[in-house]
Amino acid sequence: MKVTIKSWTGVASWRWIANDENCGICRMSFESTCPECALPGDDCPLVWGVCSHCFHMHCIVKWLNLQPLNKQCPMCRQSWKFNIH
Amino acid sequence: MSLKPKRVEFVDVWPRLRRMAESVITLRQVDRAVWNTSFSDVYTLCVAQPEPMADRLYSETKHFLDSHVEMLANKVLAKHDAANANNTNSRPDLLQRYYTTWMEYSQGIKYLHLLYIYLNQQHIKKQKITDTEAIYSNQSSDAAEQMEIGELGLDIWRMHMVEYLAEELVRHILEGIAADRASNGTLDSHRVQVINGVIHSFVEVQNYKKTGSLKLYQDFFEGPMLQASGTYYTNEANKLLQRCSVSQYMQEVIKILECESKRAQKFLHVSSLTKLRKQCEEKFINDRLGFIYSECRDMVSDERRQDLRNMYIVLQPIPDHLKAELIQTFLEHIKNEGLETVYALKGENIHIAFVENMLKVHHKYQELIADVFENDSLFLSALDKACASVINRRPSERQPCRSAEYVAKYCDTLLKKSKTCEAEIDQKLTNNITIFKYIEDKDVYQKFYSRLLAKRLIHEQSQSMDAEEGMINRLKQACGYEFTNKLHRMFTDISVSTDLNNKFNNHLKDNEIDLGINLSIKVLQAGAWPLGSTQVIPFAVPQEFEKSIKMFEDYYHNLFSGRKLTWLHHMCHGELKLSHLKKSYIVTMQTYQMAIMLLFETCDKLSCREIQNTLELNDETFQKHMQPMIESKLLNANSENLSGDTRIELNFDYTNKRTKFKISSALQKETPQEVEHTINSVDEDRKLFLQAAIVRIMKARKVLKHNALIQEVLSLSKVSFTPNIAMIKKCVESLIDKQYIERTANSGDEYSYMA
Repeated sequence: MKVTIKSWTGVASWRWIANDENCGICRMSFESTCPECALPGDDCPLVWGVCSHCFHMHCIVKWLNLQPLNKQCPMCRQSWKFNIH
Repeated sequence: MSLKPKRVEFVDVWPRLRRMAESVITLRQVDRAVWNTSFSDVYTLCVAQPEPMADRLYSETKHFLDSHVEMLANKVLAKHDAANANNTNSRPDLLQRYYTTWMEYSQGIKYLHLLYIYLNQQHIKKQKITDTEAIYSNQSSDAAEQMEIGELGLDIWRMHMVEYLAEELVRHILEGIAADRASNGTLDSHRVQVINGVIHSFVEVQNYKKTGSLKLYQDFFEGPMLQASGTYYTNEANKLLQRCSVSQYMQEVIKILECESKRAQKFLHVSSLTKLRKQCEEKFINDRLGFIYSECRDMVSDERRQDLRNMYIVLQPIPDHLKAELIQTFLEHIKNEGLETVYALKGENIHIAFVENMLKVHHKYQELIADVFENDSLFLSALDKACASVINRRPSERQPCRSAEYVAKYCDTLLKKSKTCEAEIDQKLTNNITIFKYIEDKDVYQKFYSRLLAKRLIHEQSQSMDAEEGMINRLKQACGYEFTNKLHRMFTDISVSTDLNNKFNNHLKDNEIDLGINLSIKVLQAGAWPLGSTQVIPFAVPQEFEKSIKMFEDYYHNLFSGRKLTWLHHMCHGELKLSHLKKSYIVTMQTYQMAIMLLFETCDKLSCREIQNTLELNDETFQKHMQPMIESKLLNANSENLSGDTRIELNFDYTNKRTKFKISSALQKETPQEVEHTINSVDEDRKLFLQAAIVRIMKARKVLKHNALIQEVLSLSKVSFTPNIAMIKKCVESLIDKQYIERTANSGDEYSYMA
């Protein structure tokens, strides 16, 4: 062996993988935040439903709180369940 | 004796009473018994039957006082005349006689007042109009009205004595004061006492009056005194001008001002002190401003502290706008010095010199202002203005001001690993904030700072995290949370990454996986880091890496769903162990360079084209990373220019004293393109900021005039930068195009918000 790797310091950046560009509730880009937040990222995360639709967490929680009876996905009207991987 | 009113003859009682009054007023010895009798005489007359004789008593008393004072006046004057005949230098005597007479009379009249207390209390007070009536009815107390005996006595004194002798007295007083001035305040204390007494008698004689009690003093004495002093001052100033330089003149004036205010206290009534002072300042300073300022420029530029101190003292009492010249000169001086030290700078460490020289200038003048100008806010703000204009000066119209960049780099130098001790770094960072505050383009600073911070964090070059945090907190204090929140984010990412690495390593251990590589990964959040161009540079990851990277990605995705990792290979680096040489070396280098070295595992020679194709590197990246490898002599090339056919081979003869070293990479150095890129991105950010600001303002106001809009935009952007008007106008135009706002129909310079 002439050359071996001793150690490596890697740098990576992360983004959301969403099935759409924008949040279906606030129409803001997933790369940016929901209207209430100032900084994208961990403070304003995305969540997925079992129906595979994706929203800003703050947006969908607000939406669900406004639904008195059936908690439905605002996009497909299936009943909303958080998809926990 | 009984208090019952009884019938008395006025002529029986009055002569007795009159004699008594005479004794009292001349302060002769009076027996208690006689005093008591007289006291009841007043009472008896006031309550006499069938008619009270109070009025008659009053008029007789008045008459008596009239003639008494007239007699005194003649005594004061007559002797004076007599003395004048054979001795022209008898002037002090007049004052002396007046003073003695007044001392006696003023005391006597107080006693007489007490003797007549029944008359005063019962007869006269009753007729007096009350205070409120006096104020609201606006009746002047006419002469016919009766006064209390004490007041009557003083009034008579005023009429027969003061008004009669005033001119003469004042002339003598002024001569006395002049003599005091001439003798440098060494007039004998007795004479001072006399003059002081005479001057104060003008006040005391009217003291009983509720309003205008100083009128007599002001009319007879103060006016002429101020005038005479004014003339004296003008003369003195003229004399000084002839023999003094500016600096001596100021010293003299300060002395004179001090003497004069002592003199005023010695002689004058308190009400005159400020007036005389003013007069003095007027004649010595205001009238001579031209002269005082004539050497101002030299004094400032030579920094003659004593002279400047004197000038400050001298100019202190005059209105601010007159001081402007000194302040302006001072400002110019600081500015010139600042420009001199800062703008000739050249070379590698220009940023260090810039900040430290500027700090020196700032520190020097701050100290000077404290020492010489008593930390006067006018001068401090001049210092601020001067510093700001030096720091924000653009070398020419076209070139941008680079101070923000320098200051940010200065911080970088301090915060990078070095041998300087922490306390010193801390102190320097604090000082640095002083300069930072003057920067107008704070957003430029922020851009540079965050890029440099990112480099420090990624390449682990920070001296200490505490120092880094401290600096960010200082910036937060100076510019607010908005300014630093991205910087804070970067910090969080780094600490989250450390946790992540620990967890990952534990995970590997638990599953008994050995990657053979010591892995440390930093995961950054895309939005918070100034990562530059986000486009991924094509790169075929060598298989030696692949397994490790895959392991980490899997682990990460498992931990955080819905996230995608993008590797920023141009920021990664690692250590390679080289075993093909006589000694084995451990070399730190960039990922691309590692990949190149790994290719030589199976062979000793490769052409540039082969390397480039295997790794799928573009020309620019290849050149940038290959060059340092050849410079370090780890690899040899058969020609200077690296073209496709150039042969690269391992240098088996390589030796180095150290077994552990680093290949300096071109990337860690700031290239001019990068600087330009940073500046351009600032411009983009500014446009977005301005547009957002305009929309926000228009949404709140609905309709706004052009100028008002510009003002509001300026005030919003003040914290981070000063936009030029042209840029704001462009933003307004583009918002009109995008139909956020429109021009109102009836007016050309008015905009309205479109919902």
